[in-house]
Amino acid sequence: MKTVSSLLDAHWYERYKRISRLNIRSSIYDVTDRCNLRCKGCFFFSSGEHERAAEEKDIDKWHAFVEKEMDRGVNLAILIGGEPTLCMDRIEAFYKHLPTFCATNGLIKVDRDRFPDMMVGLSLWGDAEDETTLRGQDTFKVTSANYEGDPHAYYLYTITPKQLGKTEKIIQKIENVGLKVHMQLLSNDEDVNGFSWQEDELVAIREEMDGMLDAYPGTVISSKYYHQVITTGEMLGRRFGWNECPSVTISRDNRDPQPKRLTNFIRWASDLKTVHRCCTSETRDCSTCKDGAAHMSWVMVNKRAHIKTAKDLQNWTEVYEMFAKLYQFIPW
Amino acid sequence: MTTDASQTITRIAEIIINELKLEDVTPESFEPDLDLVDEVGIDSMDLATIALVLRDEYGIRIDEDDYPKLTTVRIIAEYIDTKLAEKE
Repeated sequence: MKTVSSLLDAHWYERYKRISRLNIRSSIYDVTDRCNLRCKGCFFFSSGEHERAAEEKDIDKWHAFVEKEMDRGVNLAILIGGEPTLCMDRIEAFYKHLPTFCATNGLIKVDRDRFPDMMVGLSLWGDAEDETTLRGQDTFKVTSANYEGDPHAYYLYTITPKQLGKTEKIIQKIENVGLKVHMQLLSNDEDVNGFSWQEDELVAIREEMDGMLDAYPGTVISSKYYHQVITTGEMLGRRFGWNECPSVTISRDNRDPQPKRLTNFIRWASDLKTVHRCCTSETRDCSTCKDGAAHMSWVMVNKRAHIKTAKDLQNWTEVYEMFAKLYQFIPW
Repeated sequence: MTTDASQTITRIAEIIINELKLEDVTPESFEPDLDLVDEVGIDSMDLATIALVLRDEYGIRIDEDDYPKLTTVRIIAEYIDTKLAEKE
């Protein structure tokens, strides 16, 4: 039988042991149905999820809900929306009780006196031209001013096909404001012309992402295996899709056979009652989904499948480390 | 180690091998003190699967809060023995 220590040398074994018992149990929460931007390609609005549930407005109910989530074993709250920072009191309901990550467009600054160490993920969809095309404005000017040098914030850089050959400029300007960056790929849920990935573009962007990781290792939080998995949609000869996705809400998961999945994962709507099918839009074709967190989690939940060769297990360890850094379970 | 304890260890090893489809190991050759998380790579979902089979086999309930403690086959065997003794 292959064991971990039979595959890894002392350096890698220590890295593996640092993350092997973290036992992260995340769920995702729509904090609000509203946003102060309307980005073309945003799955939340394009799929009508903002109309699925009426927001719970009683803050006491949010606090009670978070306590129930803790009883369910959740130890990482991932807040999305809508734009969570429109409802700081709801963010606080999570932050007071749980390790909390807040995905935001960054236009409203999180008050660091109120949320001193909450990890903030700042969405960025490319250079000024793409940002203006897709989001109506270049958010970087505002967000970089709001968060310059913040050790608990990083950019979630959603790369579009239009960004081929341009990623270095983006990485450099993020480095220049003293922030980290994690790269993911646009899924183009609204079929915006020219923003859907072609096979040759995916090959090219993988190479470019690898190059950015090599050139900016202190700024880019990523791994080459993650780049491989997200651009090819394949892992260990298996293809990503509905039958493999780990980020399906547990009560909506009727798959048989049951794949490896996130334990007790739920994506909650903002009424605190309704659940969504998965971490992204129900209208999205799973076979072409490029959701970064879902692909990361896909690797992470399939640990034993990676205990075959030293390289496989090193790849798994790097992806897990990446996730643990992005959600503050281990330091940068 | 008593014969009963030895049999429990072998049976638990057999369940783990079957449920997780482990290769190149038999119930008899499975090292009872091998760390299941650090060395075999078992996660909480694997443990939940194993716990269901153990529940049916031994008629005991394994609390989810106890999963982190169940790190080796020998510890699982001792846990089951304790639970069975509590039932008597």
